[in-house]
Amino acid sequence: MSANQPTPPPAPFLLFFRNSGPETHAHLSPDQRQQLVTRWNAWFEGLVAEGKATEGQPLELETRLVSGPGGARITDGPFPEAKEAIGGYVKLMVRDLAEATAIARRHPGLAYGLIIEVRQMTPTCHLGVNTKPSEAGEVVVHQA
Amino acid sequence: MSDAPPVAPRQPAQLVEHFFRHETGRLHGALLRLLGVHNLALAEDVVQEAMLRALRTWSMGGVPPNPSAWITQVAMNLAKDHLRRQRMSAGKEAAIITHHEQTIASPAIAWETAHAIRDDALRLLFVCCHPAVAPDAQVVLALKMICGFSTAEIARAFLSSESAIEKQLTRTKQRIHEAGIAFEIPEGEDLAPRLNGVLAALYLLFNEGYKASSGDRLLREELSTEAIRLMAVLLAHPAGRTPRAHALLALMLLTAARFPSRLDEHGALLRLHDQDRSKWDRALIEQGLLHLVAAAEGDDLSEYHLQAGIAAIHCTAADYAATDWARILRHYDELYRLKPSPVVALNRAVVVAHLHGPQAGLDAISRIADRDRLESHYLLHAVTGELHWRLKDERAAAGSFRRALALAHVGPEQAYLARMLERSLDDGASLSA
Repeated sequence: MSANQPTPPPAPFLLFFRNSGPETHAHLSPDQRQQLVTRWNAWFEGLVAEGKATEGQPLELETRLVSGPGGARITDGPFPEAKEAIGGYVKLMVRDLAEATAIARRHPGLAYGLIIEVRQMTPTCHLGVNTKPSEAGEVVVHQA
Repeated sequence: MSDAPPVAPRQPAQLVEHFFRHETGRLHGALLRLLGVHNLALAEDVVQEAMLRALRTWSMGGVPPNPSAWITQVAMNLAKDHLRRQRMSAGKEAAIITHHEQTIASPAIAWETAHAIRDDALRLLFVCCHPAVAPDAQVVLALKMICGFSTAEIARAFLSSESAIEKQLTRTKQRIHEAGIAFEIPEGEDLAPRLNGVLAALYLLFNEGYKASSGDRLLREELSTEAIRLMAVLLAHPAGRTPRAHALLALMLLTAARFPSRLDEHGALLRLHDQDRSKWDRALIEQGLLHLVAAAEGDDLSEYHLQAGIAAIHCTAADYAATDWARILRHYDELYRLKPSPVVALNRAVVVAHLHGPQAGLDAISRIADRDRLESHYLLHAVTGELHWRLKDERAAAGSFRRALALAHVGPEQAYLARMLERSLDDGASLSA
């Protein structure tokens, strides 16, 4: 049936992590925190091994919101509603929104209140999707 | 799918077991050295903040190659920021802050030496086990500050509520603040009594874990594991390396070695007689015996020495029948001379029964001074019941087991006593039939 149809090339998606700030995890015991780190990394490394995640990084929580003509209004983050702040992101290369969503649903942080926003990156041109497998191994590890 | 060679994913560094927990203790030690014991609350806040930062950064960015150095650096920077803010708001403690900034300015390596960590760990142990703090409060504080247990975990281990533990910790810290305790290892003639205080607290911590099982069993066993770990901290330091400390660690190891056989597959309590000795941990027994040898250096003979000696006799007996009860009795006689408590006397009576029969055991029990202090303890009635049963006095046995059952609090102990009571009633019934 679909044997002759080529598999669509993987497309880039971004997962944004919200509600991942300190207050979300303050009540966890040290051992629970360790479990969360370990399982979170296993989730990510599994995706890297499958070639489905290409990069991931935490973001500093200090934020500037710039608005107004000429950037006249600058306010300091984080947001009054800490839940809204983006704490980090992961870039995926997957088939479609459904697959990206399924990956997000397996995230171990969800049990502790993590909120994940799944967004497809718009290709700048219809051939612009990067499928070079060598990039799959490049993981950006944040070092303080 | 792709015909490119598989790319080996770059694995993040792995965290050793209980990394966050034990790192909490190490950081508290390092920070108290810099900030002083009077800044205990600040040290706790800083460590908590550093931990949460590590959690967020490492979960999204991978664990760095040297997580310990990473988290130390973050904690130091946070401490520095807090002190700056304190200085700006209050305009005080300027001299102290300058000192700290000089110390903190050098990178993590400066306090990363094994000796510094070892010394800080011991100083922290002396703070937590300070005589200004009541023994049970010492144990809770040590669990929080050194072992990195959360308040919720401590509450679960002690069948208490989080708010009760929180209140107790607040009071304890207040006491420590008022007592003006220094972050130091006691010297000269202060050292021996303070060391005894530390040993007593760790013995208490170990026993909390050993108690049959009120509260969360796994968590309670971790209390014993932590007590053993802290004994190792003590023995790693020349100031703490005494024969008495070796004796206590020997006692802990020889007792912990038998943990796996204490309960059957349904969680029911087993007597020594019924335990499967193949389940005993040989490695722990060997370690325990080595420490017992080290404990024999010098002429100190403490209650830990004698208890460890008794545990060693059990651990080295090929089977129950081969137990050297005569030697155990000599140890109990000695122990009773050192510590004439009715509980020791009751244990001694059990050994007398093994050597000279159940009636001799009952006689020994009736001769216990202060026996009334034991009346409210289920163990007295459980032992009496067992001895009556062996004398085929099922009626007296049932009576004793009934009283024991009414006094026992813990699930497995109650289940065990109910079994014994049933046995006495069954035998009594079949005899009278």
